[in-house]
Amino acid sequence: MNAAVDLVRAEWTKLLTTKVGYWLVAVGALMAAGFTALFTAFAGDQGSGPGGPGGPGLPAVGTEAYASLVAGIPAQVVVIAVVLGVIGTTQEYRHRTATPTFLVTPRRGRVVVAKLVAYAVAGLVLAVAAVAATVLVATLYGGARGGAPDWTADAVGTLLRSGLALVVYAVIGVGVGALVRNQVGAVVGALVYLFVVEPIVASVPATADAYRWLPGGALAALTGDGRGTDLLGTWEGGALLLGYGLLAAVLGTVLAVRRDVV
Amino acid sequence: MRLDGRRRGGTERGGVISSEAATAEGRVEVRDLTKTFGSVTAVDSLSFTVEPGQVTGFLGPNGAGKTTTLRMALGLITPDRGTATIGGTPYAALPRPATRVGAVLETAFHPGRSGRDHLRVYCRAAGLPTRRADDVLAQVGLTPAGGRRAGGYSLGMRQRLGLATALLGDPRVLVLDEPANGLDPEGIQWLRGFLRHLAHDQGRTVLVSSHLLAEVEQTADRVVIVGAGKLVREGSLAELRDESAGTVLVRTPASAQLAAALTGAGAAVESTAPDALTVTGMTTEQVGAHAFSAGVELHELRARTTGLEEVYFRLTSGAEQYAATGGGAS
Repeated sequence: MNAAVDLVRAEWTKLLTTKVGYWLVAVGALMAAGFTALFTAFAGDQGSGPGGPGGPGLPAVGTEAYASLVAGIPAQVVVIAVVLGVIGTTQEYRHRTATPTFLVTPRRGRVVVAKLVAYAVAGLVLAVAAVAATVLVATLYGGARGGAPDWTADAVGTLLRSGLALVVYAVIGVGVGALVRNQVGAVVGALVYLFVVEPIVASVPATADAYRWLPGGALAALTGDGRGTDLLGTWEGGALLLGYGLLAAVLGTVLAVRRDVV
Repeated sequence: MRLDGRRRGGTERGGVISSEAATAEGRVEVRDLTKTFGSVTAVDSLSFTVEPGQVTGFLGPNGAGKTTTLRMALGLITPDRGTATIGGTPYAALPRPATRVGAVLETAFHPGRSGRDHLRVYCRAAGLPTRRADDVLAQVGLTPAGGRRAGGYSLGMRQRLGLATALLGDPRVLVLDEPANGLDPEGIQWLRGFLRHLAHDQGRTVLVSSHLLAEVEQTADRVVIVGAGKLVREGSLAELRDESAGTVLVRTPASAQLAAALTGAGAAVESTAPDALTVTGMTTEQVGAHAFSAGVELHELRARTTGLEEVYFRLTSGAEQYAATGGGAS
């Protein structure tokens, strides 16, 4: 047990003695603050999309819809959580520190498990920062515009689930990093998946049905910002997302144990 | 240092039994190791033993399978066949490997992390107190640079950081893969003394690989020579030296007269220049004595010191994978 704690602490020491972790948490908080400011600035505006002026727009500040929309914002920075986890594993291969790491801990599965735990906690730190930034901006800026969100139980629940999603995506990132090992490849692959593949799957009618079973669909179900009614239930979505996290973790562990470290 | 009591020569306090136990604990045994990458057999049924209290040079040309062998012995690469044990146990099964074996395989560190933080990471992972980071920094003479980003270190400092990492757990066995690469002459001198001290004064097992014989010639007691993944020679450096002994260079104005005298005494003599002879099968003393009794004037008489290198080349010739034409190893 002590050895397991030591390994997790070693991963934290790695994270805290380089800059990338601090940067990612700062960027994640800034993104959440920025999105919140944007949604607040244009709150109540009429839509101007294909529906033309007068179509449905952003909900006005102070409404329940506004609070619900804002509460889902932390989930918009899942990309940062994924990158955090991916870098956590791939930097060992990029800087070749996988060699000393696996020399100290030849039972490599333990290293991956320690990383999963360490980065779940790091994801939690990111989540707290993103949620705090969201709440702060919505309360101050929304209040200045005449209607700070009313933090109902529903809104708080959405906020917390959005934060939870960041934790799960950080874990998925660790697993993906252990699978791919190449840092640039893993980060680019994750970005392409999140911003190209999933949106296409979701918007093409023939594949839209499958979207709910993908991490993005599960995330949308968990954080309740999905417009589609064909998503899973909140907690089913959460369970599916957790399943993806575990799958990535198990695959990453098995491969790290089997592959040669050259 | 914990291991100071275990000196070579049997005068230590521990007595014969504990000394034998310590010897067994520090013994590295490689048996029938084999590894194939695609169609290339990198290591082929390789067996050898490394004993504590000595520096063992692990020699072979580039591509001979040295790094693959070391990585298999350290559980990083899974062999196709065979075993490697440290004190009878495979590396990956050692309970706290960092306290038993220290390895320097390549300069591996995050460039943004300070040398001291790098060491602290592995202190934590190995369950060692973090003050060990400062201990080993001092041991390799890197204390002043400990707080600086490792990315700004010179090549020599990187090698020292790697060595410091290996020493964290105060291990009895040290494995170093081409540690002299990139070191300046002063650094190489320091490394030689340091490795000899670890083996001879502290009784540790030191296995150091190199593609250059000259690099380990002054450090190693024994050598394990590999070529194309196979064992070519295992033995003491003294044995190898004996093989190369007997080549003597003589310069004399009466070369024909001396050649006749030496040939008559059973030596093989080759005339390399009008006034120079290369003599095989005799020591400088013998050649000098024959010259004296024949009344031949000598201008030069010396043993050839490059003989060992030639034996090494002969042993590994044809085993070099990427040999340059017309030149030896640099």
